[in-house]
Amino acid sequence: MTELLDVILGGTFHAAVLFLVAAGLQLVFGVQKIVNLACGSFYALGAYFGITAVGAAIKLGMPPALFLPLLVVAGLLVGLVGLPIERVLRTVYRRDESYQLLITFGFLLMFQDTFRYLWGATPRTMDNVYLAYGTAHFLGIRVPTYNLLVIAASLAIAAILGLFLERTRTGRIVRATAENRDMAEGLGVNASKVFALVFTVGCMLGTVGGALVVPSSAASLDMAVDLVVESFAVVVIGGLGSMRGALVGALIVGLMRALAISLMPEMEMLSVYLVVVAVLILRPAGLFGKAAV
Amino acid sequence: MQPQPVTANVPLFETINVSKAFGGFKALSDISFSVRADEFVSIVGPNGAGKTTLVNVVTGLLRPTSGEVRFLGRDISGVGPVELARLGMSRAFQLVNIFPALTVRETLAVAIASRLRRASNPFRSLKRDGVLQADAERVADVLGLRSKLDKVASTLSQGEKKLLDIASAFALNPAVILLDEPTSGVSTADKHVIMEVLVEAARAAGIRAIVQVEHDMDLVERYSHRIVALQGGSLLADMAPRAFFADPAMIAAVVGTRAKL
Amino acid sequence: MSHSSIEIAPPATLRRTMSLNGIGVLLALIVVMALLPFVASPYVLLLMLPFVGYGIALLGFNLLFGTTGLLSFGHALFLGVGAYTAAVFTSKLSILSFEIILVVSALLSGLIALLIGALCVRYTKIFFGMLTLAFGMLFHSFLYKFYAVTGGDQGMRVLRPLLLGMEWRGGKTAFLTGPFYYYTLVLFAGMGLAMWRITQSPFGLHLRAIRENAGKAAYVGVEIFRMRLSAFVISAIYGGIGGVILAVTTGLADPELAYWTHSGNLVFMAVLGGSGTFAGPAIGALAFVMLQDFVMAITQYWRFVMGGILVLLVVFMPRGLAGTVELLLSRRGREA
Repeated sequence: MTELLDVILGGTFHAAVLFLVAAGLQLVFGVQKIVNLACGSFYALGAYFGITAVGAAIKLGMPPALFLPLLVVAGLLVGLVGLPIERVLRTVYRRDESYQLLITFGFLLMFQDTFRYLWGATPRTMDNVYLAYGTAHFLGIRVPTYNLLVIAASLAIAAILGLFLERTRTGRIVRATAENRDMAEGLGVNASKVFALVFTVGCMLGTVGGALVVPSSAASLDMAVDLVVESFAVVVIGGLGSMRGALVGALIVGLMRALAISLMPEMEMLSVYLVVVAVLILRPAGLFGKAAV
Repeated sequence: MQPQPVTANVPLFETINVSKAFGGFKALSDISFSVRADEFVSIVGPNGAGKTTLVNVVTGLLRPTSGEVRFLGRDISGVGPVELARLGMSRAFQLVNIFPALTVRETLAVAIASRLRRASNPFRSLKRDGVLQADAERVADVLGLRSKLDKVASTLSQGEKKLLDIASAFALNPAVILLDEPTSGVSTADKHVIMEVLVEAARAAGIRAIVQVEHDMDLVERYSHRIVALQGGSLLADMAPRAFFADPAMIAAVVGTRAKL
Repeated sequence: MSHSSIEIAPPATLRRTMSLNGIGVLLALIVVMALLPFVASPYVLLLMLPFVGYGIALLGFNLLFGTTGLLSFGHALFLGVGAYTAAVFTSKLSILSFEIILVVSALLSGLIALLIGALCVRYTKIFFGMLTLAFGMLFHSFLYKFYAVTGGDQGMRVLRPLLLGMEWRGGKTAFLTGPFYYYTLVLFAGMGLAMWRITQSPFGLHLRAIRENAGKAAYVGVEIFRMRLSAFVISAIYGGIGGVILAVTTGLADPELAYWTHSGNLVFMAVLGGSGTFAGPAIGALAFVMLQDFVMAITQYWRFVMGGILVLLVVFMPRGLAGTVELLLSRRGREA
């Protein structure tokens, strides 16, 4: 029983991180109709940068309790890389989607070598953060406090995002642009600025996700691609363009991976790929999505 | 499925008590009408009356919630575009729908290749297929596009693109052709030219009946044998133009109902 | 949607000459390669062999991408299938006949494509790209993890096959730059001619119609699913055969052949050469092989350079090398 709870909490932790990335993807797709094949690269970027940030913090003698907020801030900062990338992407907005895939694939390649150059080819880990937060008793089992904090942080970010989109003026503008770009422009909205904002926020969600996850797993070159498939699985299961779908999809994928790891580790990624295929056969539109493209 | 031969008594196609509901919204209520050989039928009605839905049901794109659609006596509910083309009914759309990078000749060849079942063998030659090429030229001729055969579709004028769209529907040698606002987006001067070309071409191509959805009542009056008027999803009238235009209530219902809504 | 086809499709004025250009360019290239052994060093010739393998795979890839408009990010899967077939047959089953290996690779690739394609081609664009990416990685995962069967990350050896039943008793380089070189060139020419026929057929026309406007295509009787699936299967067969050639050249079948970057390389080659032309992708393969060789010699961060080049290509030169040349020629033709 405790093992099951362990798996569930582990899966939820992973789901919390995955949700952030998927939310970023959904946001960008919902507003700009772009699929960012380099979304995994931002995730990896956040992870690597997080390691560097924490490493520097330790040298500067920062109290370990601040590591989590530090990771969030590091993620947000490095997410700004999205701005110049969006600038380049602008050239292919009105063109066929194949071009988006090609360009973001080019970025993916460039990121891979950037990681290799800055952080080397071997996976990097960060051991001290978990120790800093210790463990807690939750539902009768011992669980790393860090995991619980991340789940809470992720939910908080989700709430903030939701409130932003629903309640603020900028959020309304974003939604209007998503519905109909040309009409929004006709009403005086600067669509370019909206797109830049949305894309950058989307990237930041990815980088923060990567930064938050790295204490529990390693930052590696494979992360970028593994995540593309994983977040794709989340989007497929949840449905393209739906935030609720991102949440549910993330939970399902996260739990499934946790199960696979505990039962049959070699099947970890395989199980994700298989779920994607299964969902596409059985329910192509996903749980909350409109018809598949 | 072989297209059945057209006889004078069997209607080319007919709808029998067709209703279509989308959730709670009833788009079509109990529509029955038929089209026979050598008829030109116009479907008219204000926006939202259900014209497009009716055409979608009639062309097998949507399944009716109740009722039947029959083509040459055969039930065609929900057959889909490819099967529809095989059965002998083809459709041209309101918004110009072309293959931008293909030439006029190639565009027509696509339809003819489908009709002649040429696409199953990947090693056949397209250029050396005399029958296919001759047919493409014939259809282009009939619609006045002969001189444009080797022009790329995207470089044609708007009117020419419209004609090409219709031509590709013709190229399927249909028994019935459905046109969705064939002259929309075309200047008034050209509208009549296109209609004349259409009617003459249909005769030359052996098309047995034309059904069009049209807003321009002048064209409707001039060219139709029968008018099918829809309002709010119901069949308002099914009569010859003379009778239709003699009745002011009819005209008001179709053209001027906005005030009532 | 209509924008892309205008950008990658050949300009109108050049269409008539295109029918000679396409296969003509490819055959001319092959003739030049046939004459190479008289002037070039074995190093250059060995570099040419992967180009032939990729060239064949790309002929197939471009049927899917350039002609039908489906961008696959998992195409290297079929290269892997071909490579591992060669490995299993030569080192595990001791069947050394190259012809048998080719046929089995083709059949196996086609069969796998039939199964995968039945799911994938129901979707377009993004979903298709990601689905094929997922399947490619699924295969890679399988090759990597099931060590006992596939040799895991060590890969599986590919022994020297018998060409037309004949055994070569000399050295490896002599084999690869001699009889194998010419055999593969003949294969390349043959498969090129077959692909030319395919693209010039009503079948090919239907594929292009699907690329241009799938909705309208259905209305003029094009069986979209069946056509796309056929294109997928044919492209897979070409991929499998390309993979066999690659594997025999290196003597090894390894899981990285199916990794996503390898699929990405194929896409890169097609775009570099010009996916709107017949011979473009093959030219792209040649350019890529030489470019990669050159860049790798200068820096270990060749992925960064190649990625940057891809981005620049898409932004500034989406027609690729061959496509841009064609465009320039047509402009000159119009002015003349």
